[in-house]
Parts: sequence; structure tokens; C-alpha cells
Amino acid sequence: MVWTKWSYMDHWVTETPQGPQPPSFNRAYMDRYIRQLSALGFTGFDTFFFYLPFYAGMYGGVPGFERFLQDNGFDKITGIFSAYPSATKYTAPHVRETHDRIVADCTNTLRMCEGLTGVENFIVMPTSTYHQTEPVTDDTIKVVADLWNRVGKLTLERGMKTTCHFEFWGAIRTREQVDTFFRYTDPEYVYFFCDTAQHTIAGVDPVQLFRDYSDRCTGFHFKDTKNVDEHEAFRTPPDPELMAPEVTRWFYEMGEGGLVDFPTLMKEIVASGYDGWLTVEHDKAELGGGSYAEATAVAKWYIDNTLAAAEAEARAELEAAR
Amino acid sequence: MKDTLRWAYALNQWNVRLDVFVRHEDQQRALKTVSACGFDTIELASGTGRWDNISRPEVILLNHGSHQGFLDFLRRAKVQGVSSMFWDPQAPTEEEEGYAFRSTANPADADAIVEWSKPFVDFVAGVGADQLVVRPVGSAWMSPPLDADGVKVIGDVWNRIGERAAAAGIGLALHYDCLGAVHTEAELTALLEVTDPATVGFALDTAELTVGGIDPVAFYREHAPRVTHVHLKDTRYADAGEEYRMPGAESTMLKGGAGRRIERWFYELGTDGGLVDVPGFVAALRERNFGGWVVVESDHGGNPAELAMLNSWYLQHELGIEK
Repeated sequence: MVWTKWSYMDHWVTETPQGPQPPSFNRAYMDRYIRQLSALGFTGFDTFFFYLPFYAGMYGGVPGFERFLQDNGFDKITGIFSAYPSATKYTAPHVRETHDRIVADCTNTLRMCEGLTGVENFIVMPTSTYHQTEPVTDDTIKVVADLWNRVGKLTLERGMKTTCHFEFWGAIRTREQVDTFFRYTDPEYVYFFCDTAQHTIAGVDPVQLFRDYSDRCTGFHFKDTKNVDEHEAFRTPPDPELMAPEVTRWFYEMGEGGLVDFPTLMKEIVASGYDGWLTVEHDKAELGGGSYAEATAVAKWYIDNTLAAAEAEARAELEAAR
Repeated sequence: MKDTLRWAYALNQWNVRLDVFVRHEDQQRALKTVSACGFDTIELASGTGRWDNISRPEVILLNHGSHQGFLDFLRRAKVQGVSSMFWDPQAPTEEEEGYAFRSTANPADADAIVEWSKPFVDFVAGVGADQLVVRPVGSAWMSPPLDADGVKVIGDVWNRIGERAAAAGIGLALHYDCLGAVHTEAELTALLEVTDPATVGFALDTAELTVGGIDPVAFYREHAPRVTHVHLKDTRYADAGEEYRMPGAESTMLKGGAGRRIERWFYELGTDGGLVDVPGFVAALRERNFGGWVVVESDHGGNPAELAMLNSWYLQHELGIEK
């Protein structure tokens, strides 16, 4: 058996007559983008909530966009990513007074997903930036947990699991903070989404984290990093991902000499019995002259070769243990 | 690609300038891209100097120690081998008499060009490739129109190199391009007629023929026994008539420097407005049980990884070939 549920997270930049732009530049660029992912064999597609209106406009509705995906060999739209990376007076997960607005936003996003085959994950950044949220106390985490418990109940009613994607620069970043957050959230409503690079940068082992929370894990972003944050870059205002003085590029595709042990993670995933989607994400792949297209192809090569071998090894070990 | 046709992918689109595509890790990324797109065989282009370490035979060997060392390098990325290598003796290189400018149209250059072919013949044979693919003559704008004697002069050079290639166990394929002095269908047919079918084949490039005003499907049907190699790519434009004769046509025509200002001529398979009947051409190959390599190319295009994926998509979804 070879893992077939590989999805792609909708980060991409391509060259247009108006310079490098996301494929949502126009319908023709979008079609080409989807065809490229299809050629590599991706069968799931995760996207951001803010792209849904663009795609609806281009394809006659979000379901129309999903039909285009399906015409190109995809199963469906698998995940929707929603986030409030910057805290504002209107929306800040650690400020209880803004929760009604956030819930209303999520309701709108869910409405845009009506008619889809079956989005599985409603992926959220549980908090805004660390520097806007600190001090991060137990009470802070409790307030945040209360929000996602509410949203989780709401999304589950629409068949989607609210699943939390932690950032190295977010207010919940250490192992202790993650543990506290999961203690305060309802396992029925709030799940874990494992971004391998973000946890590694924060000094948290993503493999161990998956081992400990595999029962709540509903997805992954497979991406790599070459740096652990050793200079408290996570505090950098306004944004540590692009403005940290010591590290100009945090994220890399798999197989390029990064810190994440993907073969071990793959084996853990197989051993755990997890049968959900595995998602490839490239974030800011263009930094340093990189290309999203090549990064995607190289990552898929790594999946088809290195991770396929790890998966086969894990399945053989499981079989031998029976 | 799991198919009865043998598919390969050309690396020339990555090597777009003298000083790029030099580091081995960059080459590995390109090879992995090709592999992830379903191609396990590549075509190499020729080049010159220390930075063409995946193009110039002597430099490749200097980098990898041996033919086997180079194959091992390819196989790290799951690319199993080389289908072919392209060589244009009209393109000056430091290895060929220090950037000497010679032409197959000049009888006085014949001996030197035959000698220059040696490293290519040896390398293609050494890596187990099938074909040395060559530009038979330089650009039309650089010389007077060819007469029958001129075509014979060119053919004689390639007959001599064809013998060398055959002795080494490889094929020699003359590649038509839209700027070449052998331009019309009559000139091309004449060149094929003066070359030995036993040792000199034809590399049919679907886009180049189309730009040059020759229907690739019809030409293939008429000359199928001579076609030993294929470059498959599309174009949105055909030469309006005499554009290939513009001085500096490599830039004035193919880079839009003058005339209709068309800055890009060659496109991926399935491009909007493409002029090549790709399904019809591939069907013709199947009808005749074509046994050579079909090399997908996107030279003079855009982002090479994007184009490789789009070409792969076309083969899988439009031609129904399993990756």
C-alpha cells in the first residue's frame, strides 16, 4: 500500500506579466497551477479562507472550483485555513470580547463551504503573535481555549474538525503551553494539526508531539526548517517570519538537509493507524530565488521515494509484529 | 511514463545562461523535478566551458570522473539514463579550436567538424544513449540561400559523422530548426535525400517545423522511416514568411527584437492557441510503431519546473498516459 492521501496547501507564487503573483491572478493561471499539482499526483487541496471568494468568482462558486479540481484527479477540498495572525481590536483570540466576531467570521467561512464534497479540517492558528499577546498565562490560554471550543462545536456541526496549527511566533508555542491548551480544550471539539517546521523552530519535537497527541491529530503540514529559534526571534514585532534579524528564511521543502526527521515521522504515522490527509506546505519558497513549482516537485519526489520507502518499512514492521 | 512510446525530457530549459545550473544540488533538483513528473530519461544539450558541467562531454567527465559516475549522479535522483545529446557545431565553443566559427555549409570546415564530433559520439555511446542530435547547418540569415550543391556539402559532413556514430553504436539525427539555412520542406527533403538512411536519421521537432511552415504530422507520415528522434513541443506562431531571414534572427525574431515583437515562440503542450496537433502527431507515431525517443521540450519557455509539470499533466490527462 502506498499513501495516496497527499494534499497541497495553497501557497504558491508564479510569474505573471505583473510580476510574481499568486495563481489567483486570473483563471488561466489558476488552471495551470491546479494542473501542475495534479501532474505530481496530489489528490487533496487545502486553501485559505480568504481565497474562497476569488475561486468562487473564477469558477462559478466554491463547489465549481472543487469540480475543476475533481476534473483534474483531485478527490476534494480537504482543509480550510483561517487565522488572525495579528491581533486587532476586532479580532484577537486572547481577548474574550472579540470572540463573537471571530465566531461570526468562522460562520461566514463555513457558509462558503456549503455544497462541497466534504472538507475535513477547519485549520486555525489558535492565537495571534506572541508579542501582542504576552504575558501568556494559564488564564490567557484558557480564554483562547474557550474560543476554539466554541468554534469547534460549530464546525463539527458542519462536518469539519477545528484543528489547531501552532506557529513558532504564536502565543502558544512551547511544549508546556501546547499541553496546557489541550488540557483546556474539549477533545471532542478541538484537534491538533502538526506543522513540522513550526514546532521544530519553537524547539518542540514534532515527532514526539505527534506521538503524544496522535489521538487528536487530524493533519500535518510537511515542511522543513534549517533553524531552531535561538535568539527569541518569536518576539520580533511586527512579524518574525520575515523580519527576524538572524534568520531570513525559515521554511524549506523536504529533502533539502533540514532538521525535521520526516522518515521517522512517516513511520510513526503508519504505526499510529492515522489514516487522514498528509499535506505538503511551502511557505515563502521564493525567498532567495526559489521557485514554488520546483519546491513542490522536489517535495513530491521526496514523498514518492524517501517517504514511500519509510512507509513500506513501517508497514513491514507492523506485519512482522502481527 | 508507462507507455509503448519511449518518453524523455530535455534539460535544456534549465540551462538558460552561461552561469546558471552549475551547482550539482541545482541539477539534482531539476532531475528530481523531471522524475516527479514521470520521466526517467533525459536529453542533454551541448555547451562549453567549466560552467557547462552537465552539457559539455569533457566537463561532465571532469565533474563525475567517468560515464558511470555521471549515470550514478543521475540515478541519485531516480533518473535512469540519457536518451540523447544535442550538438550544434555552428555554435562556437572553447573546446573546438578556441571558439572557432565553422559551418557545415563550408567545405573547408568539414574535416574540423568531423573531428569535433568525436567527444560527443564517444560520450553518447559511453552513457548508453541512443542518439546524437545535431543542428545540421547554421542560421539562414548568415549565409546566401542554399543551392543543390550546398545541400550536398552539408549532407557529406553528416554522412561522415553518421559513419562514426554508427561505428560507435549510436544514431545520428539531424534536427530541423526554424532559423536554419535548410528551411523549406523542399530543402529539408533534399538534405534527407543526400544523407545515408542507414546512418543519418531525422530529429523531428514539432514546434520548429510548425514555425518553419511545415506540417509536422504530414511530414512525419511522409518520412516516417527517416525519423529516428522526436522533440515534442508546441508553438503559438508560425513564421510569417521571411522572418527567419532577419539579421540576428536568434534575437530579432525569436526574442521579439524586431518584426512582430514576439518574445516567446515555444510553449508547453496544451497551451492556449497552440498550433501543433499534438494528439494527431502522437497518434501518427503510434500508427507507425515509432521506436525512438520522444523528448518533451520547453526550451525558450518560462519557469522550467512549471513547464515540466504542465507537460506531464498533458501526457497524463490529455494523452491518457499513466505516469
